[in-house]
Amino acid sequence: MTEPYEGTGPLDAIPGAHPYPRSSRYHDAVIAVHRAADGTEVRYTERRLLPPLPDPGDEETAPHTVADGERPDLLAQRYFGDPSQWWRIADANPVLDPAELTDEPGREIDVPLPGGFPHGTAQGGLRGR
Amino acid sequence: MGDEPVGGGPVHLTLRMGPKLTRPVPREVVEALLSLQITSTAGERSGFQMAFDLTKRGAITGTLLPEGFFDPRTRVIVSTTVRGVPTVLLDGLIVRQEVGASNQPGQSTLTVTGEDLTVLMDLEERTDRFPNLSPAERVRRILGRYVDYGIQPDVRPEQISQPPRQQLRVEYQSATDLGYVNELARANGFTFYLVPGPVPGVSVAYWGPQRRLGTRQHALNVNMDVNSTVDQLTFAYDGAAREEPQVRWQDPLSRESTLLPQPDIGPLRPPLGRRATPALKRRRLAGTAKLGLEQARAEALARAATSADSVTGSGQLDVNRHGYVLRPRELVGVRGAGVTYDGDYYVTSVTHNLTPGSYQQNFTLSREGLVARGTTVRP
Repeated sequence: MTEPYEGTGPLDAIPGAHPYPRSSRYHDAVIAVHRAADGTEVRYTERRLLPPLPDPGDEETAPHTVADGERPDLLAQRYFGDPSQWWRIADANPVLDPAELTDEPGREIDVPLPGGFPHGTAQGGLRGR
Repeated sequence: MGDEPVGGGPVHLTLRMGPKLTRPVPREVVEALLSLQITSTAGERSGFQMAFDLTKRGAITGTLLPEGFFDPRTRVIVSTTVRGVPTVLLDGLIVRQEVGASNQPGQSTLTVTGEDLTVLMDLEERTDRFPNLSPAERVRRILGRYVDYGIQPDVRPEQISQPPRQQLRVEYQSATDLGYVNELARANGFTFYLVPGPVPGVSVAYWGPQRRLGTRQHALNVNMDVNSTVDQLTFAYDGAAREEPQVRWQDPLSRESTLLPQPDIGPLRPPLGRRATPALKRRRLAGTAKLGLEQARAEALARAATSADSVTGSGQLDVNRHGYVLRPRELVGVRGAGVTYDGDYYVTSVTHNLTPGSYQQNFTLSREGLVARGTTVRP
């Protein structure tokens, strides 16, 4: 979509810029600029590092026992009201493949409580920056 | 949605309170919350009001209230989660509490009123001199005093640069910090406000022009049958709002006074409408002759820019239906209101009304002319 009025920020002249919506896990990711050999500038999203796992005593997550036929997106719809937020559950559990979360019924996984911020709720500054 | 677990559902509220560092409030406090109202406006401080149910033998009456849990200067941080996306709505201090005891059972309430963290900057009158500092540098230095409340400055340079000359004039502050920062903002056509977030305990102090650039928020739909997200939207076009400032400046050497040319407000306020409102009124600004040339030009620009918004809209939306929290001081698209009033608007103010089971927002929009500039808005 073309903007009716183009921005005039320092990065707006560089092509390939696209801000991520607030619901995306890349919303807080850093947009970096790669300068090719011929001088052209390409914007890219830097690798996103997982936020630190909450400590067991923090009570930032609630346990959920996986039942048969569940999927991460179904869980996200149940707990957050939006299936596209499944990545919040994947972030709170150290798994390599999101499908692992719900593969075996009976497994207990951590579901973040509402109000959890991607960078944690640390006082005084952003963690992980 | 019959098997919705505890805490399930699209909208959640998180309340944190404490003296300076906040903690999540006890369960009894959240359960007693009857209503919460937060107002945030561009260029003004935000305010909030919370009402709690005061049962006779509850924890609030018994321990929390006498122990000073709701005392003035207690910090309150409110954040909501809509469809899994958390937003900090408020970071403020309590300034007033009211207890209404009633004979009717269940009618006793505790009402707590407060303002955002700028109230800290308005407590103490201060005299200070700022030799050889431009307005933006002065603001940055004042904001440096409030770092321990998590306030991070975001200060933009002035549109018309005013290089300070110590031999001619030494700027002097004789008001509260907030008063002086607001005065500097007004003289440059800027606004000053605090944006809470992005995480609790942090807020950004913005001093600069109104942000009329960048990504639009999700569009407000009106009069579109099932796709409408806004209940009602009222627009007003006030032809007498815009004025043309007449600014005279006197040259200190030749003693000649000249009328400054009309400033171009485009860089300060990028146009949002295609047909700009003509200025009907002409007003002479007083006291500009003896200012420096740059200061006089900045005054003219500020007056021309701040009076330019002649189209305003106001309405109400249901966050559950809209799906997103409308944020103030950003751009938003409107569709369904007809060719004249569709297009992008600046969100001037938003009032959040939260009660158990409902989340409503009242908002006002503004822009300087009719007819959208583009053919599409961000859906």
